Amino acid sequence: MQWEAFAGEALRGGLHNIWMMARIIIPVMLVLEIGRDLRILDRITVFVAPALRFFGLSRQATFPLVVGFIFGIAYGAGVIIEAARSGKISWRDLFLVNLFLSACHAIVEDTALFIAVGANPWIILGGRFLLAVVLTYLVSRTGWLAAQTPRSPQAPRTGAKPAGTGPPD
Amino acid sequence: MLSTATFKRGLHKGLFTLWEMTKIVIPVYVAVTFLKYTPVLDWIIKACAPVMGLFGLSGEAAVPLVLGNVLNLYAAIGALTSLPLAPREITILAIMLLISHNLLVESAVSGRTGVNGLVMGGFRLGLSFFCGFLLNLLW
Repeated sequence: MQWEAFAGEALRGGLHNIWMMARIIIPVMLVLEIGRDLRILDRITVFVAPALRFFGLSRQATFPLVVGFIFGIAYGAGVIIEAARSGKISWRDLFLVNLFLSACHAIVEDTALFIAVGANPWIILGGRFLLAVVLTYLVSRTGWLAAQTPRSPQAPRTGAKPAGTGPPD
Repeated sequence: MLSTATFKRGLHKGLFTLWEMTKIVIPVYVAVTFLKYTPVLDWIIKACAPVMGLFGLSGEAAVPLVLGNVLNLYAAIGALTSLPLAPREITILAIMLLISHNLLVESAVSGRTGVNGLVMGGFRLGLSFFCGFLLNLLW
């Protein structure tokens, strides 16, 4: 076991990693914070809402989708869960939002991270986005999803039942 | 409205996030680097190469792949930077990980929004494999 070589590599590589992350994380956080203060999220939401009719999504679904798309599921969790609990979004819309986000979320941070380690930006950004759009569109169109949605008062088919569910669609 | 407070907050959040990520990335990086100097990594490479080959990846890519799914992206990055992977491999791995990572936490979030977390997790994993396979084929 070459301890010296290991120690050298661990130290150099470790520092390089931290530097690489700092170069991305700090600017990204700054940009996101600026975006927050300029209320860019609201403007994007207004802009995006009509486009979401492509998937048959309601206006209420726009905000969680945009938050998850930009900030990611972990950061956007609060918004997404709140939207679900408020009962203002149908189970169908929630499913589609979940579907879209699972294929493509946190585009700013995650993409930057992988570009920094050498991935092809076109594929990881364009490819993911295309995948999300195609997948969500196809599912939104099939009879399968319509058949899943309960016509009776809001109750998700599976998983946790949100408290205080709203009136049926 | 922009102000100095905006930049202070951004910087503060940036440093905080950096610290949180460092706490994960560095130990993982050191651990994987350590394994490189032992026969263990070679053993992992040999064992995983056949399956990884389906996605055009070398055996050692299994390490970031598993870490990314069980832990999170930063653990995967920590492992990835220690391993000699070609840019093409990194891209395929990136797509697979971007679709399916942090399954435990993110499935829990999905679960609380009314979609079965287990189903979502399984779906993402499956989609990840499918896309890795497809990308390897087409690119």
